[in-house]
Amino acid sequence: MSTTDFGFEKVPEEDKVRRVAQVFDSVATRYDLMNDLMSFGLHRLWKRFAVDVSGVHEGERVLDLAGGTGDVAALLVGRVGGAGSVVVADINRSMLGVGRERLDGRGLVGNVTYAQANAERLPFAGASFDCVTMAFGLRNVTHKEAALAETLRVLRSGGRLLVLEFSHVTVAALRPLYDLYSLHGLPLMGRLVAGDADSYRYLAESIRMHPDQETLKGMMEAAGFVHCDYLNHTGGIVAVHRGWKP
Amino acid sequence: MDKKLLEILVCPVCKGPLTYRRAELELVCFGCRLAYPIRDEIPVMLEEEARTLGPDEKRD
Repeated sequence: MSTTDFGFEKVPEEDKVRRVAQVFDSVATRYDLMNDLMSFGLHRLWKRFAVDVSGVHEGERVLDLAGGTGDVAALLVGRVGGAGSVVVADINRSMLGVGRERLDGRGLVGNVTYAQANAERLPFAGASFDCVTMAFGLRNVTHKEAALAETLRVLRSGGRLLVLEFSHVTVAALRPLYDLYSLHGLPLMGRLVAGDADSYRYLAESIRMHPDQETLKGMMEAAGFVHCDYLNHTGGIVAVHRGWKP
Repeated sequence: MDKKLLEILVCPVCKGPLTYRRAELELVCFGCRLAYPIRDEIPVMLEEEARTLGPDEKRD
């Protein structure tokens, strides 16, 4: 039986999807509030940075994968305009529901659609998108190589993948404070604010288990992406990885 | 169901074309004999959520 990581826990592979679903069903309605509290609002800056780096522009077709609550999609919708389109895909129905409500509430309805989908088995035809964005979603995927291969498939030749994800702190002085905060402060905050320490512990632990900057770059290259690079932000707490489909 | 989305949706298992059944609110892959539900206007393109077609269900 194959096991995989669920934060620091080892679980049978077939259980990971269900366990992750439980985490996200539980946090969906307070997801944005918790992101603001946990990152002191920095997550908004990180997402804007990723979208800027993506170079998404008018008329493009973009897939926002693991796009859940729609805050990245909201940024993308403005940039692609009426001639472009954004598909928000997420495996979790609760998160997708929150995202649609948010975008509907802002009147962002003309060029955005939604689909419940698994990043490892995407339901889109090849070469359907100019850009795929994935913000804070890749670390929750059981088979990352499968997700990378699928994003390559659905991109047109010359299209690009943007992965925004927690990474490894590169500024040594930051590390002890960051460790203390993420492993102890976050679950405590989760318990006090959302009554759910376990979900926030999973979130903190899954950050630790995620590949570092060079490793993820290597995985993208192995999947067939070219000109791969990454840009650190906030001392390496997060990184934006980019790769192009040849 | 949005027309532009329908144009690019395929079966996640075999990547083959889908038949949209408006009345039943399903997207059918006859190759895999699977029907994916559309719930509250969102297509649920997950194999574990799909219904297996009965032996009498054929292409229109």
